[in-house]
Amino acid sequence: MISDWIPVVLFYAFAGVLLASALAVITVRNSVYAALLLVLAFFSAAALWMLLEAEFLAITLVLVYVGAVMVLFLFVVMMLDVKSREKHALGGYGKVAIAVAVAMLLEMVMLFAGKLAAGLPETSLTRHAADYSNVRALAEELFTRYVFPFELAAVLLLVAIVAAILLTLRRRPDFKHLDPARQIAVKASDRMRVIKMPAEPQSSGDDK
Amino acid sequence: MLDKNILLVIAMAPLAAAVVAGLFGRKIGRTGAHLVTIAAVALSFVLSARILWAFVQGQAEPFNENLYTWMVAGDLRMHVGFLVDSLTAVMMAVVTFVSLMVHVYTIGYMHDDPGYQRFFSYISLFTFAMLMLVMSNNFLQLFFGWEAVGLVSYLLIGFWFKKESAIFANLKAFLVNRVGDFGFLLGIAAIVMAFGTLDYVEVFQHAESVVGKTISIFPGTQWQLITFICIALFIGAMGKSAQAPLHVWLPDSMEGPTPISALIHAATMVTAGIFMVARMSPLFELSEAALSFVMLTGAFTAFFMGLVGLVQNDIKRVIAYSTLSQLGYMTVALGVSAYNAAIFHLMTHAFFKALLFLGAGSVIIALHHKQDMKAMGGLRKYMPVTFLTMWIGTLALVGFPGFSGFFSKDIIIEATHESHRFGAGLAYAATLLGVLITALYSFRLMYLVFYGPERMDAHARAHVKESPWVVTLPLIMLAIPSVVIGWLAIEPMLFGDFFKGVIVVRPEHDVVAEIGEYQFHSPAQFVLHGFTGWPFWLMLLGLALTSYIYLRRPQVTERLKKTFAPLYRLLRNKYYFDEFYQKVFVRGAVRLGETLWQWLDQKLIDGVLVNGTARLVGRFSAAIRGWQTGYLYHYALTMVLAVVVLVAFYIF
Amino acid sequence: MFGWSDLVTALPEIIVLSMACLVLLVGLVLKPEKDGLLVSLTMLTLVFAALVTLRDHLGAEAFVAREAFNGAFVRDTFGDVLKLFMYMVMAAVVVFAKQYLRNRSLFKGEYFSLALFALVGMMVMVSGNNLVTLYLGLELLALSSYALVAFDRNHLKATEAAVKYFVLGALASGMLLYGLSMVYGAAGSLQLQNIAQAAATQPDARLLILGLVFVLVGVAFKLGAAPFHMWVPDVYTGAPTATTALIASAPKLAAFGLAVRLLGEGLGPLQIHWQSMVAILAVLSIVIGNLFAIQQTNIKRLFAYSTISHIGFMLLGFVGGADGFAAAMFYIITYALMAAGGFGLLIVLSGKGVEVENIEDLKGLNQRNGWLAFLMLLIIASMAGFPPLVGFVSKLWVLKAALDAGYLGLTIIAVIFAVIGAFYYLRVIKVMYFDDAQTDEAIVASVDARFFLNVLAIAQLALVLLTPMLLDVCSSAIAAL
Repeated sequence: MISDWIPVVLFYAFAGVLLASALAVITVRNSVYAALLLVLAFFSAAALWMLLEAEFLAITLVLVYVGAVMVLFLFVVMMLDVKSREKHALGGYGKVAIAVAVAMLLEMVMLFAGKLAAGLPETSLTRHAADYSNVRALAEELFTRYVFPFELAAVLLLVAIVAAILLTLRRRPDFKHLDPARQIAVKASDRMRVIKMPAEPQSSGDDK
Repeated sequence: MLDKNILLVIAMAPLAAAVVAGLFGRKIGRTGAHLVTIAAVALSFVLSARILWAFVQGQAEPFNENLYTWMVAGDLRMHVGFLVDSLTAVMMAVVTFVSLMVHVYTIGYMHDDPGYQRFFSYISLFTFAMLMLVMSNNFLQLFFGWEAVGLVSYLLIGFWFKKESAIFANLKAFLVNRVGDFGFLLGIAAIVMAFGTLDYVEVFQHAESVVGKTISIFPGTQWQLITFICIALFIGAMGKSAQAPLHVWLPDSMEGPTPISALIHAATMVTAGIFMVARMSPLFELSEAALSFVMLTGAFTAFFMGLVGLVQNDIKRVIAYSTLSQLGYMTVALGVSAYNAAIFHLMTHAFFKALLFLGAGSVIIALHHKQDMKAMGGLRKYMPVTFLTMWIGTLALVGFPGFSGFFSKDIIIEATHESHRFGAGLAYAATLLGVLITALYSFRLMYLVFYGPERMDAHARAHVKESPWVVTLPLIMLAIPSVVIGWLAIEPMLFGDFFKGVIVVRPEHDVVAEIGEYQFHSPAQFVLHGFTGWPFWLMLLGLALTSYIYLRRPQVTERLKKTFAPLYRLLRNKYYFDEFYQKVFVRGAVRLGETLWQWLDQKLIDGVLVNGTARLVGRFSAAIRGWQTGYLYHYALTMVLAVVVLVAFYIF
Repeated sequence: MFGWSDLVTALPEIIVLSMACLVLLVGLVLKPEKDGLLVSLTMLTLVFAALVTLRDHLGAEAFVAREAFNGAFVRDTFGDVLKLFMYMVMAAVVVFAKQYLRNRSLFKGEYFSLALFALVGMMVMVSGNNLVTLYLGLELLALSSYALVAFDRNHLKATEAAVKYFVLGALASGMLLYGLSMVYGAAGSLQLQNIAQAAATQPDARLLILGLVFVLVGVAFKLGAAPFHMWVPDVYTGAPTATTALIASAPKLAAFGLAVRLLGEGLGPLQIHWQSMVAILAVLSIVIGNLFAIQQTNIKRLFAYSTISHIGFMLLGFVGGADGFAAAMFYIITYALMAAGGFGLLIVLSGKGVEVENIEDLKGLNQRNGWLAFLMLLIIASMAGFPPLVGFVSKLWVLKAALDAGYLGLTIIAVIFAVIGAFYYLRVIKVMYFDDAQTDEAIVASVDARFFLNVLAIAQLALVLLTPMLLDVCSSAIAAL
C-alpha cells in the first residue's frame, strides 16, 4: 500500500534534513546562516512531530522557537554584526571534536549493532480520528497526572525570571529619568507657581 | 537492687562540676569553683558511702548493666556500662572520700595560685575518670578510664608548666606509661581474640575455656594464652602502679602540686593497677606463671624502692618512694592470690598515705614551699595538729600493732609466708626486711622534720605557723580511718563473705583463708599476736636505730655515708635506673631517630618518597594542568571524553 | 487528579515554596533597616518545615511511606531524613550568610528567596518518584545555584564562575536528560518502580545501559565526582563564600538522594553494570581530589578538592549493597555538617573588608581566638578523618562496605590517598596553631553564627557517640526504599 509508505518516506526525508541542517549549524562560518539553518532544523523537527500526530507540540515548537527565540537570536546576531573570524567554524579544536564525535558514533554502532530493539517494550502508534483534540489530551495529562512536575516547571520559570532580573536589573540611585505619564498629566497651574514674598529692603548702601 | 540513676549521678556529678569550673571558671570566680566541685564530689561520696554500706549490710545485689551501646563491629559490641559489686563499692568510697578531702585541702594549699579554678576542674575531672575506671563493666571502658586518669595526671604533673622540671617529669610520666599501656592494649586485644567479647562477666564465664591454649608470639616459642593475657595486662598495671622497672615516673611526678601527689600518686590512680588485677582475679588464678611474675615484681619493688627512700632529702620524695614500696606490698599480695589483702592494703594505704602527703603539704605551706628536710627540724611546737596527725600516719605506715597499716601489712607478710608459689620465699624475705626499711625512712622523716634543731633560715622561722583549718581538717578526717579502719574492716574483707563471688581464688591458692583458719580469731587477738611477730621487732629495731642516730648522734649519718660510700652512691642515684634509661633508651632512641632521620627520612622519604612524590605530583599535575586551565571548553571536552571512555567501558 | 491528601503529603515542600515567594515579595517592599526580618522569615520556614516533616514520624502510629500526585512524589523515611539534615545545614548557612552579605552590601531578599527555591529543588530531588520530577528538582536547584554564584554581579570572578557553572551544568543536564529519555524509551515508563521492573526483566538491554551511562554522568556532575569535577574548584573559589557554603553542603545531600533514587531504586537491578563504573569514579575522585589539594594555597580551592575526595569516599559506599548505601548516607550527612562548619568558619573570619581566601590568612588563628581555632581544628581534623572524630568513623564504614563487597584494591588505594590527604589538612592546622598572627584584629561573630559554629563543630565529636543511632536511621531509611 502506497499510503503506508508515505509516512516512512516523509520521516526519512525530514529526519535527513534535520540532521543535515543541525550539522550545518555548527559548521558554517556565518552566524546568520547558522541561525537560519537552526530555524530549518526546528521546522524539520516540527514536521516529525506532525507525523506523530502531535500537532500542538509541532505548532508550539514553530511558534516559540522559530517565531520568538530564533528571531530574537537573529536580531542579536545582526545587531552585533558578528564577523566570522575563525577559519574554521569549530575553531582550533575541529580535529579533536571530529575525533570525539566519530568515536562516539562508532561506540554507539558497536553497542547496538542491530540489537537496539532487543528487549524493548512493544509500542505502536494509535491513530486517532481527525476531530481528536490533541490539545485537550495534552491538557488532561498535564493538569491531572503530571500536575506536580507541571507546577515544578512553573517554579523553575519563576526562578529563571528572578535570576534574570537579579543579575541584570540595575537600579542606579543617581539616575535621573523622565516619567511621561506625569509629564502628560501636568496642569498649567503645576508648571508655574507664583510665590508671594515680602519685598526685600533696598540695600543700596544708604544704611544708617 | 542498685538504682542506675544514682550510679550515673555518682559518676557524672564530678564531670559536670569539672566542666563548670573549667569553662566558666572566670565567671564563677574562685569561691564558685571550689564550691561547685566540692559539692559535686561530696554528693558522689555520700551516695558511694550509702552503696558501700548496703554491701556491708549484705542488702545490695551486684549491679551489672549496659547503659549505652556505642558501636557494634561485627560480633564485637562496645558498651558503656557499670558493674558495681562489693569491690567496686570499696573503691568508689575510697576514691570519693580521699578526693573530697583533697578538694577541701586544696582551698588552703592552692590559695595563692593563679590556676586555682583550673586546678579544681582537673581534680574533679580526675575523680570522674577514676570512677569510670572502677565502675566499668568492660575492658573498653576500663581502658578509657585508664587513659583518662593518665591524661589528667599528666596535666597535673605539668600543672606548673613554667617549671622546667615539671615539664620533664610530665613527659617522663607520659612516655613510661605508654610502655605500660602498650602491654595493656595487647592484653585487651588478646582477650578480644580469645573470647570475642569485651564484657567482664562474659570473659570470666569462659575463662576456663582458654586454659591449655597456646599462642606463638615469636616463631618457635609457645606461650600459654592465659599467661600471655595476664602478663600483658599486668604490664599495664606496672606502668600505672609504678612497679619496677616502670616506676621511674612516680618520684618525678612529685613536681606536681602536693594535693595531686596525695590524690593521684598515692591514694587512687596508682592503685588502679592493683584494682585491675584484683578485678581480673578469675583470669590470673588460671596462670601460676603470671602470678609468680607479679609476686616477684612486687617484692623487688617493695624492698629496693624502700631503700632509696632512706637517702632522699626532699620530704615528698621520701613519701613517694614509700608509696612505691607499699605498692610493691600490694603487688606481692596479688601475686600470692591474696587479692582481698591487696585491696585491704590499698584501702588503708589510701588513707594513711594521703594523710602523710597532706601533712607534708602542710609543712611545705608553713615553710613557703620549701621541701628540703635538711632545712626543717623542730617543727613540732609550731604545728601541733600536723605533728600529731603525721605521727598517726607514720605509725600506720610502719605497721605499729593496732593501726590500720598493721592489719593489712601483717596479713600480706603472713600470706606470703604461707604461699608455696615459685619464689615465695624470696618474696617473704623481701617483705619482712621491707618492714625494717619502712621504719627507718619513716621515723627518719619524722625526726628530721619535727625534732632536733631548727635548721630553717631566720626569715622562714619567723613565719612558721600551723596551717589554716581547711588544711588541718582533712588531716584529722584522714587520721581517723588511719587508726580505726583496720579494726572494722579486717574481718569482713579478709575472712568474711564480703568479696564472695567477686574475687575468685582457687582453694589450693587461698592463703588468706588458711590464715583465717589457724591464726585469726578477732582483731584484738590479731593485734596481740602482732606484738610477738617478726615484723614488730624489726619495726622496733628501726625505731631504735633512728632514735639513736637522729636524736642522739646526728653525726653518725656522715660516718655511715663514708663507710658505705658505694651503697650510698647507688641509692642516691636510684640504682641508676634513670641514667640507664636516659643512656640506653632515650639516647638510643635519639640516635636511632637521627639515623632514621638521616637515612630514611632525608634520603628515602624526603628524597624519594616525599620530594619524589612531590616531583611526581608536580610533573603529573603539570601534565594534567591542561585540564584545570579555567577554560570552559577544556572542561566540557574532558566531560565528553569521559563519557566516551565510560561507554567504551561497556563495549569492551 | 489530585486531592487534599496529596497536598498534605507534600506539605513541607509547599511550605518552603510559599515562603520562598513571600520572602521574595517582602524583600522588595522592606525598608533596608528592617531587613533582619528576611532572615527571621527564612529561619521560621526551616523550623516550621522541619516540624511538619517530623510530625508524621513522631505520631503514635508507625510512619508509612506514601505516594502523591499519581506517583510523581513520594514521602518516605529516606527523603525525610535527608530533608531534616538539609533544613539544619541550610539554617546554619543562612545565619552565616547574613553577616557576610551585610558586610559587603550584598544583603538582598533574593539571596534568601533563591536559597529557599534551591531548597525546594533539593527536597524534590530526594522525594521525586519519577524521572521528570527528579529532573525538574535538579534543574530548580541548579538554576538557583547559578544565580547565587553570580550574586555579587560586579565581581568578575564570581560572574566567570557562574558562567562556567551554567554552561557545564547545562551540558551535564543535557546528558542526564538524554540518558533519562533512553531509560524511558527502554522501560516504557517514567515511574522508578516500573523502570526497576523493566530493568529486572531485561538487565542486558543495550538502550537501558547506554541510558544508564548518561544518567550516571549527570549524577556525577552534580556530586562533583571526577572526571566531572572541573567546575567545583572554579565555582567554589569564584562564588561569594556565603554561596560556596550553600552549594557545598545541603546540595550534596540532595545529589546523594538523587543518586540513590536513580541508581538504587530505578536502576537497582543494573547494579552489576554500574557498580564498577561508580568504583572508577570513586577512585578517580579520591586520587584527583587529594593530589590536587596538596598544591593549593587558596583555602576555598583546598576545600573544593577536599570535597571531590570526600565524594569519592562516599561513592565507595555505593559498591557495597544496602549496607554500603547506609554507610554512604552516613558519610554524606556527616560531610554536609563538616562542610557547612568549615565554610561557616571562613565566613565568620572574613570580616568587613577582609576576605579569607588563602591558607596564609589563617595564620596564628589560635592567638587571635583560641576557641574558634579549636572549632576549626575539630572540623579540619574530622575532614581529614582523624580519630576520634566522626570523619574517621564515616570513612571506616564506607571502607568496610567496599571491603565487604570485595573491592580490596579500591580500599587500599582509598586508604593510601586518605593518608596523603592528611598532609594538606595538617598544613592548615599548623598554620593556625604554630604561625604568628599577622593581624590582631578582633573576630566579630554574631551570637547565632557562633551558636551554629559550635553545634557543627561539636557535632564532629558528639556524632561519634551517636554513630550507632544515626547509622541505624540510615540503614532503616535505605531498607524502607
